[in-house]
Amino acid sequence: MSSSENTTQGSGCPAHLEAMALGDMSLTDPVIQAHPQAFYTKLRNEDPVHYDEKLGMWLVSRYDDIVTLLRDPKTFSDKQGYEAQYASGFFEEFKQILIEQGGGFFPDVIKSDPPEHTRIRKLMDGAFSAHRVKTLEPVITRIIADLVDQMADKADHGTVIDGVKDFAIPLTIAVICEQLGINQYDGNKISEWSEAITAQIGRMQNREDMVKNALKVCELQNFIIQQMRDREAEPKEDMISDLVHARTEDGGKLEFGEAVSLVRALIIAGNDTTATAIGNLLFILATQPQVAHQLYDNVEDERFLTRFVEELLRFAPPVRGLAKMATCDTELGSVKLPKGAHMLVLYGSGNDDESHFNCPRTFDVSRGNTGTHVAFGVGIHRCIGASLARMEIKVAARELIKRVSDITLAIPAEDVTYQKTVATHSISSLPITLKKRPAAKGAAGRIDATSAPVVS
Amino acid sequence: MSEITITFVEIGGTEKVITDAGVGENIMQVATANEVAGILGECGGGCACGTCHIYVDPDWESVVGGPNDVEDMTLDMVFETRKPNSRLCCQIELAENMDGLRVTVAPESL
Repeated sequence: MSSSENTTQGSGCPAHLEAMALGDMSLTDPVIQAHPQAFYTKLRNEDPVHYDEKLGMWLVSRYDDIVTLLRDPKTFSDKQGYEAQYASGFFEEFKQILIEQGGGFFPDVIKSDPPEHTRIRKLMDGAFSAHRVKTLEPVITRIIADLVDQMADKADHGTVIDGVKDFAIPLTIAVICEQLGINQYDGNKISEWSEAITAQIGRMQNREDMVKNALKVCELQNFIIQQMRDREAEPKEDMISDLVHARTEDGGKLEFGEAVSLVRALIIAGNDTTATAIGNLLFILATQPQVAHQLYDNVEDERFLTRFVEELLRFAPPVRGLAKMATCDTELGSVKLPKGAHMLVLYGSGNDDESHFNCPRTFDVSRGNTGTHVAFGVGIHRCIGASLARMEIKVAARELIKRVSDITLAIPAEDVTYQKTVATHSISSLPITLKKRPAAKGAAGRIDATSAPVVS
Repeated sequence: MSEITITFVEIGGTEKVITDAGVGENIMQVATANEVAGILGECGGGCACGTCHIYVDPDWESVVGGPNDVEDMTLDMVFETRKPNSRLCCQIELAENMDGLRVTVAPESL
């Protein structure tokens, strides 16, 4: 995401968008990026597979079309869509900077099509199974509980803190570094590197941004290469060692560049989107106190927490839109698409589709089909780290609500800033106040997952 | 590796009989290798996605057994279609005593 100016939206309710013609609107508009729901509704109702001229992409907005597209990776190539999106407009220059100063240009090997994708994915699946993630819960809980305590101390006596920069981002960086075996790190650097990488698919960087971001990606890659070299010399019990020494099913080793790209993907994907989800968690707890009460009342109930996390991901999916490309002339949602059509799959809109989710703007933990949300994608590219992300969000929700109360925005909700990007919907800064609870909460009452929905 | 027979009832009611399922394989692998409709196994058997949801035939429930805690939580993400005999078939490893097993593919939770 661009680290340059962020966006606020004055009215808080983009009523003026209702009156605009779809052809005059674009997802490149930072106001729409910040408050996209009215635009998504318009897309779904008027032109569900819509060509956004300014963006130069087809926006896929209906739930059913999104699932259809994602289940057909032959017709809609992830690799081609990603490559056309990456460093858009400046690709050759970006690549050259990385070759000269970042140890090389290493394409994202996981953003590929079968059979190449299958080879890599199989190698990675085991590391992220739900069972392995379950064994991490005690470590993750310790990391998160410590961070909540630190934040609560800092916020004591009414001091305003930043829920994103003081909590969400440090939290997810600490967890992924623990997983990767990176003991010493500069959290601010990793956060900057993450922004620099995700800006490459955000479509909002100008040339100056691109050069700055490319240099940060160089730093990141040089850091990764050093970490890998250390483990080549001396293997450790961590994920970087596993990748450096990994064998694929055919007995082959990962190429060096492939391994660099995977470690890079783990560092970035492992913190950026999950941090966004935890920022969203704080925003919802601050703006919908009844949700906070419901969470507190059910905090010891695992089943409630699981559903709570799914509803959070449905209600506020961190990833807004990822790219695909049609590999042949085809049709989607009755719209004819030429070969080479560049598509942006709007997960954010799919999760908001009223034909699939009743009253989608209601945060309702008891809805029956929450688990069918598309926040993690669908099909062969479904998020590999979904279990880890769910665990981090669940533990964050639990440890937060046990330790703090009265989470309140320190600015009007409409002044909250969002990152400028088409790829995610991320709060960039969240000034809040909160109170420390007198003592950690013990056992709570049983959940009632069928309790009345909480209306926003 | 010895082979056993397993019958999948697909969502539309079509029966698919696999006669060469290997003992030691998990049912999701058998299903995807034989293109059983409705079994996707998107997370590769990691018990993380809920896209290999089946109902175990009542006659076989005691042989197959129930889900463990982790599987129970993942099944909860598809709770609209969950039944008492629901399992994620990536978590069921075929054993000799499962020869003749019959399972029904669960509909998508929509």
